[in-house]
Amino acid sequence: MTFLSHRTHSAQGFKLFSVLLLAAILALFGWSVADRQARAANPPAAVLSLGGAITEIVYALGQGDRLIARDTTSTYPPEAEALPDVGYVRALSPEGVLSVGPDLILSEEGAGPPEAVEVIREASVPFVTVPERYSAEGVLKKIEVVGAALEVPDRAAVLSEAVGDALEGAMARAEARAGDRKRVLFILSTQGGRITAAGAGTGADALISMAGGVNALSDVEGYKPVSDEALVRAAPDVILMMDRGGDHGITDDALFSMPPLRLTPAGESRSVVRMDGLLLLGFGPRTAEAVDGLSAALYGEGS
Amino acid sequence: MAELSGVVPPVRNRLGRARALHWGLALALLGCCFLSLQIGAADVSLTALLGKVARGEALGAMERIVLLEIRLPRLAMGAMVGAALAVSGAVMQGLFRNPLADPGIVGVASGAGLGAILAIVLGAMLPGWFLALAGNQLVPWAAFVGGWGTTLLLYRVSTRGGRTSVATMLLAGIALGALAGALSGILVYMADDQQLRDLTFWGLGSLAGASWAKVLAAGPLIAVALCVAMFLGRALNGLALGEATAHHIGIDVQRMKTVAILAVACATGAAVAVSGGIGFIGIVVPHLLRLASGPDHRMLLPNAALLGAALLILADVIARTIIAPGELPIGIVTAVLGAPIFLWILLRRRGFVEV
Amino acid sequence: MLSATGIEVRYGDHLALRGIDFRARAGEVSAIVGPNGSGKTSLLGAITATVPYRGAVMLNGRDIAGQRPWELAAQRAVLPQAARLAFPFTVLEVVRLGLQAGTSGARDEVPMLALSRVGMTEHAGRSFQDLSGGEAQRVMLARVLAQVWAPVADGQPRWLLLDEPVASLDIAHQLQVMDLARDFARAGGGVVAVMHDLNLTALYSDAVTVLSRGRCLASGHPRDVMTDDTLSEAYGCSLRVSVPPAEGLPYILPQSAAQW
Repeated sequence: MTFLSHRTHSAQGFKLFSVLLLAAILALFGWSVADRQARAANPPAAVLSLGGAITEIVYALGQGDRLIARDTTSTYPPEAEALPDVGYVRALSPEGVLSVGPDLILSEEGAGPPEAVEVIREASVPFVTVPERYSAEGVLKKIEVVGAALEVPDRAAVLSEAVGDALEGAMARAEARAGDRKRVLFILSTQGGRITAAGAGTGADALISMAGGVNALSDVEGYKPVSDEALVRAAPDVILMMDRGGDHGITDDALFSMPPLRLTPAGESRSVVRMDGLLLLGFGPRTAEAVDGLSAALYGEGS
Repeated sequence: MAELSGVVPPVRNRLGRARALHWGLALALLGCCFLSLQIGAADVSLTALLGKVARGEALGAMERIVLLEIRLPRLAMGAMVGAALAVSGAVMQGLFRNPLADPGIVGVASGAGLGAILAIVLGAMLPGWFLALAGNQLVPWAAFVGGWGTTLLLYRVSTRGGRTSVATMLLAGIALGALAGALSGILVYMADDQQLRDLTFWGLGSLAGASWAKVLAAGPLIAVALCVAMFLGRALNGLALGEATAHHIGIDVQRMKTVAILAVACATGAAVAVSGGIGFIGIVVPHLLRLASGPDHRMLLPNAALLGAALLILADVIARTIIAPGELPIGIVTAVLGAPIFLWILLRRRGFVEV
Repeated sequence: MLSATGIEVRYGDHLALRGIDFRARAGEVSAIVGPNGSGKTSLLGAITATVPYRGAVMLNGRDIAGQRPWELAAQRAVLPQAARLAFPFTVLEVVRLGLQAGTSGARDEVPMLALSRVGMTEHAGRSFQDLSGGEAQRVMLARVLAQVWAPVADGQPRWLLLDEPVASLDIAHQLQVMDLARDFARAGGGVVAVMHDLNLTALYSDAVTVLSRGRCLASGHPRDVMTDDTLSEAYGCSLRVSVPPAEGLPYILPQSAAQW
């Protein structure tokens, strides 16, 4: 909570500073900034959202009409895709960002390049970074931060409670379903025959355990290319992948014809689960859905 | 001269054509500069702004920021980097007597890449006060030091008894490049998800990170290196006949090699450090100019600076407007423009006996 | 005067020249002959400061070791055996490269005059890389001539140092090139030429140095040096030298082993 209030205070401070700065320019050049001042006094009406989960939260808070643009990863809900796309959050074009005319930028962690972010801050546009933690609490924290930045804390509290309840329910159901815990391997890519999979500390790792599974590759940190032998030793019961829709994805046949996978329990039973990437790894309002979906896919709908 | 009365020179003076081209390119560069300030994702243009100034109106904060803090440093950096890469390419091709050489041959690119990757992956391990001091500039400085250090090492390895063997340098460059690549590979394995994405974008090259701080850091290095390189024209012409003949016509070949290698390491190192890896400018620009006005390095080098700057500025305009408000990495634009030209060069060369 | 004393040239373990003394006078064509591997090109390399050597080379009374490349370039021009050009310079541009030494009283017409001397004027605008071997050789000679255009400058002779100047030329151009060399010498300059063709050597040179296995076998006027014994020993095959009375110059005929 202290973190949250600190954030909003600094955003307010920024706005105050921007008004003072604009006033100074006004005094120097005799240019009217009336409409800008008026805008700054009201809740931000032109919001740029950088990050798929953040965009989802904005819509879930019923504030979708305040969005004026989004980043490439913001693909849900479908109406978000109609917004102008300012590109990938790590390779922002400062002019592109400013050109959509935001009076508030909500961003996930790691926006860049640093120089671009610096220029954007210099342009006196409030820039709120939403913290990322891969847990149920992390999801709720995001909702709080976004709600505060949009100045709709009441709605945020309601959403937070609903999402919190849903997550609790989903995790309890997952716990109940899970008998013999399955070892799950999240494969990020199979590019060039080299398998890159999720180790500890990743979003996939967190979601797998929330869904009552065990990350088969918990002895490495982060997303790593994995050797054939390490894959065999990891012995996953199920392969988890992002559903990239059509041509990007690898077929089951191609996947299980990769020698190291053929030798795993997952390969023998040809168990693979595909889920939407943003749903799975976004840690947004739909995370409960992701937990439910994954646990059902792992252990079946029943019990 | 009675002897010559019957033999009026039938040759058109290509040096004259190159000089005319020089002024043409200067105009083209000005045009590209105008374009770069005029258009962009934001609804701000140079003409509108100049009109306001002429009418005595003050400028809006948005206009000032977009023009002075975004487009102008980008323009400056594009010009610097483009000129540095094109001139370095021309110098390297002259030095290695091969029109397909590029600055990467002296290890700048692989060294700078290794430096950048080191900074991205292991930067967090440095003491806090150092990180605070370096700020955003840690990766560019690491890249510059990496590129420069690799070139010096290569130069040391291939210099015996006061003579630098260009062939040894070529071979040692391949070995050092492989080593740097392997070390980078190890670091990539150690990198986390965020760092990996940073690496990917660093490798593609971009001017999106342009800032006055970078322009002021890299600008003087590039300016000095390019000024020095401009005096290499005569020596590189002589070197076209081989090292021995260059010496016979009065060129201090060893000194020229030292100067050329250091200038290229300096210019390319600084360029790569601020913009990442931007390909093809170093090969395509000198080649186009040789086709247009001959291989005389005395005009090739200044013309390469102009054309390199103009092309990179143009590529940047394309990169930041074609998918506005998003932006393509400029390395993609130069590769898309440059790769076909490069292939065309290779196909043309097949017709010749040489090499 | 060009003099080399106690010249040793070593390539790794191989001693190519074992302490040679060589002297060439201005106003003369001095030829260096000898079989393959006898050290001709090494000797020229030492004189031109192209290869590392031990000993002393004096050019117009000054040791070349202490002189800067451009100081040497103002006094002598060097024709290499073969040159590969890296970029598509035109013939005229190649000839101009020699001028860039800047100290030969570089006038604009010199390169064209030099080209006309070797009969390549009409090729001035062609790409050097497209020339035949013989044409390229003549253009290179024009470049060398342009570099030291005046045989005597500031009271000092200038030097043409030629490595097999007629190697890839037809008979007419061989004579043309050797005439140019002799004219340069007659005008007060110095010419040193590494030669393969013994008869051309006899015809054009004022002094001959015969090398064999890195040593100097004989040197002096062709009439005195080019004898059956010396040449047969140098080349390791039987050669018969005859002196037709009209010209008074040696003429060398190879003999088969059986006739010897």
